[in-house]
Amino acid sequence: MSLTTPRTDWRASIERRLTRTRAFVDDADPEALAVILASMGSLLVAFVGFLLASAWTAVPFGAFLIAAGYGWVRHQALVARAVAFAMTTVTLVTLGLVVAFIFAESIPAFRYETASVFGVSVPGLGMFAQARWDAVSEPVRYSLLPMIHGTVMVTTIATLVAAPLGVAAALFVAEIAPPRVRELVKPGIEVLAGIPSIVYGFIGFTVINPWASDAFALNGGSTYLFVGMVVGLMALPTVVSVAEDALTSVPDVMKDGSLALGATDWQSMTSITLPAAFSGVSAAVLLGVGRAIGETMAATVMLAGVPRISDPLVNVFYGYETLTSLIARGYGSANGVHESALFAAGVVLFVTVLCLSVGSQYIEARMRRRLGGAE
Amino acid sequence: MSRATRTALVRDDRTAYEAAAGSAVGLSGIAFAVGLAALLGLVAIDAPVAGVGLSVALGAVLLALGAAVVGFGVASRTGYVDTGPQPSAGIVAAAAFTGIWVAVGAAASGAAGLGTGGRLGGGAVLGGVAFATTALPREDIGSTVPAGAVAGLCGLALISGVVGPGWEHALVGYNATLFGDTVVPVVVLFASLVTGWSAAKASGGFGARGRNVGAYVLIYLVVGSILAVLVGLVAFVAAKGLPGLLNGVSVGGAGLVSWPFLTNGAGLLADVAGVFPALVGTVWLVVGAVCFAVPTGVGAAVFLSEYAEQGRFTGAVEVATNGLWSTPSIVFGLFGAAFLIPRFGNQKSLIAGMLTLGFMLLPLVLITSREAILAVPDEYRDASAALGVSKWQTIRSVVLPAAIPGVTTGVILGVGRIAGETAPILLTMGGGVLPAKAAAPDVLGSFRLSASPPFVSNPALLEATSALPYQLYALITAGLSGNIRNPQEFAWGLALTLLLVVLAFYAVGIATRYYFRQKLHQ
Repeated sequence: MSLTTPRTDWRASIERRLTRTRAFVDDADPEALAVILASMGSLLVAFVGFLLASAWTAVPFGAFLIAAGYGWVRHQALVARAVAFAMTTVTLVTLGLVVAFIFAESIPAFRYETASVFGVSVPGLGMFAQARWDAVSEPVRYSLLPMIHGTVMVTTIATLVAAPLGVAAALFVAEIAPPRVRELVKPGIEVLAGIPSIVYGFIGFTVINPWASDAFALNGGSTYLFVGMVVGLMALPTVVSVAEDALTSVPDVMKDGSLALGATDWQSMTSITLPAAFSGVSAAVLLGVGRAIGETMAATVMLAGVPRISDPLVNVFYGYETLTSLIARGYGSANGVHESALFAAGVVLFVTVLCLSVGSQYIEARMRRRLGGAE
Repeated sequence: MSRATRTALVRDDRTAYEAAAGSAVGLSGIAFAVGLAALLGLVAIDAPVAGVGLSVALGAVLLALGAAVVGFGVASRTGYVDTGPQPSAGIVAAAAFTGIWVAVGAAASGAAGLGTGGRLGGGAVLGGVAFATTALPREDIGSTVPAGAVAGLCGLALISGVVGPGWEHALVGYNATLFGDTVVPVVVLFASLVTGWSAAKASGGFGARGRNVGAYVLIYLVVGSILAVLVGLVAFVAAKGLPGLLNGVSVGGAGLVSWPFLTNGAGLLADVAGVFPALVGTVWLVVGAVCFAVPTGVGAAVFLSEYAEQGRFTGAVEVATNGLWSTPSIVFGLFGAAFLIPRFGNQKSLIAGMLTLGFMLLPLVLITSREAILAVPDEYRDASAALGVSKWQTIRSVVLPAAIPGVTTGVILGVGRIAGETAPILLTMGGGVLPAKAAAPDVLGSFRLSASPPFVSNPALLEATSALPYQLYALITAGLSGNIRNPQEFAWGLALTLLLVVLAFYAVGIATRYYFRQKLHQ
């Protein structure tokens, strides 16, 4: 533990970095340095050109290719390192661009749906304070509440399916299955993740929806119940693989100790492995919830596509619209504020799922620290 | 993990009691299977079985199972057989049975015509009784009597015809009706699960070993159902899609094999409508995404694991990568529509779809490559460094070759995943519902050089193009109709083609992993 304050820590780290850079510049061959500067500079210019939608983007990009190609022949190690660094930043840049563009496109809708509370006007509040979505007839309103309700319904049912089944299957793969069975079950669950969502949707549309309509005497066959089940099936592999990772990361010595005391396998699982891996397993469930929230095509194809809140609120026999299906169905024919409102739905989705992802990463990191300390 | 519960010592000690409990588990399994078949419509619930309807027969089985389960509990409690029960069935079982009996009580009071208050009261009373019966007595009573009572009640309801063929119950506010055809199988499935678990516990002699057996029965059932769903799905799509896919296939003749579904477009002139343009579109889509994502992802993984020091930067990249991995595909579609389309000719285009899928593939490649590179033992790097080899040379000729199996596997599995994605290309790539053969993109043949910026152009990349998943979606939204002979058959053939393409990627990926692992263990 250092006793320095974060501020001096920061300054020290910058200083350290500066000295290192200086040393690097002194050491390096000036020609290599020039090549790297030229290639990275032209790459940056190309990126800016692309952002500005300039037709001249090809020129700096070509310059980058020439500089990097020349450098590859003459100073391979340095250029490789620089290019690898540039590639690393792509992830950060992509996330940044996603955030920037989706938020920027959604601003008009948030402006349109400004509502005042206690005399302060809050942009976007109208999307959550009333329940009317109608892009065509007056009054044109863009409330996201009906879609949020749909997403919550589908996600709840999906989680009820995916969480218990997923954790049970993860326990099986990680703890119970003999090696040969595991070799069969694990790829099977992986393959389940690979079945395209549109194929699920197609089966749902042609088989499940007519069946549900018949079996429950419904008006139309769109139900949150079966969409939720299908989406749960799709989220299941995510839960299984992440939870299995968490369960296998519990050190064997802990389980062996329990077994050596005469506990049964199930006792060791419930009182040693599951509690030790609890945070990892809950992270798996969180990620599964994230998958279920973001699942698009099955919902789009199977749901009725009417922005309405079901009546009563928990009526699972009718399915109207989720955030994802709203976007998939509406994009293309929408324009102006309507299109922007679809981006607003995207913002809600993105922020929710990002929070879930960051939350589950935090939980996982905590678990790894704890298990590391226990060893 | 050792298998303490499966030693020969235990197995030899099989008494008649255990055998009876074991057969009760088996009977529950059979009831479960029959219930499932009835739910799927394979058998009718009024089909005659031994002179009575199936529903009544199943009711009798449930009643017998319920009585047997209660019998196991009583036999153990009275000391007739030697078991090792614990003082209480435990809080989990108590909570589960309370929940079940609250539901039963509420349903029964509702059926008796009581209002909301009556339902709550009935549920509370029965739930309370169930809680007391489960939690207070010894485990052998607590985990059998409530279970047997549930099954017995379900059985009585089926036998007496309170719930049976022709039964219906309107859920007034919900605008839906429950019919015997669906409720009977669900009741059977549920009751057989309960008796199966309870009998499994009895066959293990209650206590820790009984719980072990009971839990294993449920877990095996879960895993079995997941695999059954997988096999069932693939088999169903295959059975529905094969007629369309194999339509007009002939072997021999000029081209050796003629497969019109895969080599034709859809159009008035084609004898057999085919998916050629969409297939080519998917191939180019995958190629484009791989060209963008694989070098970028592998390069980033090399930098993160070999060059960068663990710190704020790597932490941020890791969070960003995982964030991108879990970002919903439709959000990527929105991003592609807002960012890429205005920069590539302001219309849906092949290259916008390629890059959008590339952005989706990037985190997958990065995560798996990084894992693969980190899995290369440090000894390799140390040995190389000890020989005086430079860092970059070590990475290039030691680390990367050792990591290639993991990277390849990850890339193939990732590609399988994005090849079936619909939502992003729906917003960025578009294309026709039933494109003619001429609409297949000719990417290689369309590169043009010009004297004005951007100097290189490729019209094929800038056109809206169809792909297999998108075409399936477009067909569904068009109501499974179109200017072709049998749109239904065509759509199922298309679904099967898509499934086969994706599963082929997965099969190759998993086989690669298996192959390299075998080689590693040699």
